[in-house]
Amino acid sequence: MGVSSLVLDPVKVLVGLAVLWAVVALAYQVLAAWGGGRADYSRRAGSAARGVAFSFTVAMTPRHKESVRRHPAKFAIGVVMHVGVILSLLGVLLLLVWPAAAHKVLSLSRPVIALSLVAGLYLLVRRAVSKDLRAMSAPDDYMAILATCVLLALASVYSSYSVGAVVCMIYAALLFVYLPLGKLRHAVFCFVARGDLGRRLGRRGTYPSATGRMV
Amino acid sequence: MAARGEQGRRITETARETLGQSVRGLGAYHMNACVKCGLCAETCHIYQAEPEPANHPGVKASKVIDHYRRYHTFLGKYLPGLVGARDLSPDALDQLVDVVYGRCTACGRCSLHCSIGLDIAAVIRAGRNVLAAVGKVPEGLQRTVDNQIETGNQMAITEEELKSTAEWLAGDLRLEMDDDGVEIPIGAKGRRVLYLVNPREVKFFPLSLMAAAGVFHAAGERWTIPSKFYDVTNYGFYSGDDPAARELTRRVIEEAESLGVEEIILSECGHGFRSFRWEGPNWMEQEYPVRMRSVLEILEEYIDSGRVKVDPEKNADRVTLHDPCNLVRWGGISEPQRRVLKKVVADFVEMTPNRKDSYCCGGGGGMLSMSEYGERRVMSGKIKAEQIRATGAKIVATPCHNCADQLIEISKKYQLGVEIQAVVELVYNALA
Ligand code: SF4
Ligand code: SF4
Repeated sequence: MGVSSLVLDPVKVLVGLAVLWAVVALAYQVLAAWGGGRADYSRRAGSAARGVAFSFTVAMTPRHKESVRRHPAKFAIGVVMHVGVILSLLGVLLLLVWPAAAHKVLSLSRPVIALSLVAGLYLLVRRAVSKDLRAMSAPDDYMAILATCVLLALASVYSSYSVGAVVCMIYAALLFVYLPLGKLRHAVFCFVARGDLGRRLGRRGTYPSATGRMV
Repeated sequence: MAARGEQGRRITETARETLGQSVRGLGAYHMNACVKCGLCAETCHIYQAEPEPANHPGVKASKVIDHYRRYHTFLGKYLPGLVGARDLSPDALDQLVDVVYGRCTACGRCSLHCSIGLDIAAVIRAGRNVLAAVGKVPEGLQRTVDNQIETGNQMAITEEELKSTAEWLAGDLRLEMDDDGVEIPIGAKGRRVLYLVNPREVKFFPLSLMAAAGVFHAAGERWTIPSKFYDVTNYGFYSGDDPAARELTRRVIEEAESLGVEEIILSECGHGFRSFRWEGPNWMEQEYPVRMRSVLEILEEYIDSGRVKVDPEKNADRVTLHDPCNLVRWGGISEPQRRVLKKVVADFVEMTPNRKDSYCCGGGGGMLSMSEYGERRVMSGKIKAEQIRATGAKIVATPCHNCADQLIEISKKYQLGVEIQAVVELVYNALA
């Protein structure tokens, strides 16, 4: 047994526990938010399932989503950042079970992760300088971006120089502990909220829908 | 001045309980989903008219969500400063009034365009639920709710007034249609259709009530207006007072049952349609014993089935259509009015954007009954005014009397020179 695996084992346990905590805590929060659900006594005019399908597909295209249509660059920057975070987390989780594959994934993703870090830093600065964003932000909102930027930086270092695997994993564990507590829990709630909106609009016949010309 | 001491503590407790109940209904998903990206800014007509942080949909939502966090999240409970969680103190509740009543019509345009899918309007309405529970609804809006509860209709019109207006309108219709059989029945038993009207039709816009009566007559419909609970509006929905909204719904359903009708037809009213058709059964926690539709749906049925014959050349001027948020976005009724208009007017042109993406006229959410926000309301109609102007239309059809009031005002303010009409008026005018 090599030195590195002796060091890594307790770290793997730590990460495993952190992931477990995040999954259980998020599942609990979603279930608590659902609260057993509420019967809908109105007579439906459309299909909830079709509404949900529309909400997750067509409704997200620029034609139907004005926030994207008006701000394509900002939206793209946000997407790039999220892609980098997902790839980094995937890579770090792979480190637990299959270090060689993890290295491969992180090496191949290096440009995306680097770009993602730049995007994250831009979003942090934008939050600090925009009057509108400052008005809706709390320290947690800055912390969430900063926390993901640190992950991206660690993943970049590891993918470039093959050093810091343990640090990456310990940091990922901390991030998983934080995930269900602060703003990062949107990782789950964004799907639940979009699904719920689609379900309600689908029942009422608003979704799926054609729309007029763009603004 | 905000309440202090024991009274303040009681207010906070009630607000907290109401917020808990309200988010249970909402699933609380939307309270946890905002990423504060800020991209929804211009989806809001109020922000467009006055682009300042206080009018940003994300900021408005966060003012309610901050209170949710305080009581329903771990960090909100133990490290409130970190997540911006705020107590529902009397001072904070006073500040919330301007946010949820004064800067938002709960039109939900931003909800459909949020990068996440967060129902901002539902979050805002949770804020209204809280304020209604602690007696902080703006005075004008509360007075309208009280009128509805105390007298059965928002304008406190007596049964005698309703009957005499109906008599007078029926008399005019007999002359206009050259038919002695025309009637506007009130509280008649054994009819097929119960028609709910907006009291504003009785008091200020009798032409739309007259037009509906004319079309019902032309279609040979067996119909009646209820004698007591005929109000299609529900200001409890606007104010966030769910118990009042439930009571207003219950009365109408009971009246429909006692009159033995087969279906309830809702006259042109955005929030009235949404309240009765979609929210009402859930307030009452039961399915309705009768069918319920919008008058737009039955107008389409009459025309399609040939029960009424129409000639579009009788409406020769260019007509555009305003989509009331609660009827279209939140009510799912977007096509019947279009199909009807295309058959009854010669020159129909769409506004852009339209249907579910239509901008609020600025008069929704009970704004028209809150005089303190009048200036902001008219200003927020600017984008709607621009949309209307771009169509070159002479007539704006709108299936909502609430929107009609606002559109009349913005037509004056922005010098649009357009006439505002209900869809049923155009149908009546086109009767062949
Ligand atoms: S677009 Fe949605 S997620 Fe972004 S700030 Fe607005 S409400 Fe929040
Ligand atoms: S619900 Fe309507 S008025 Fe309120 S913030 Fe959204 S777009 Fe603006």
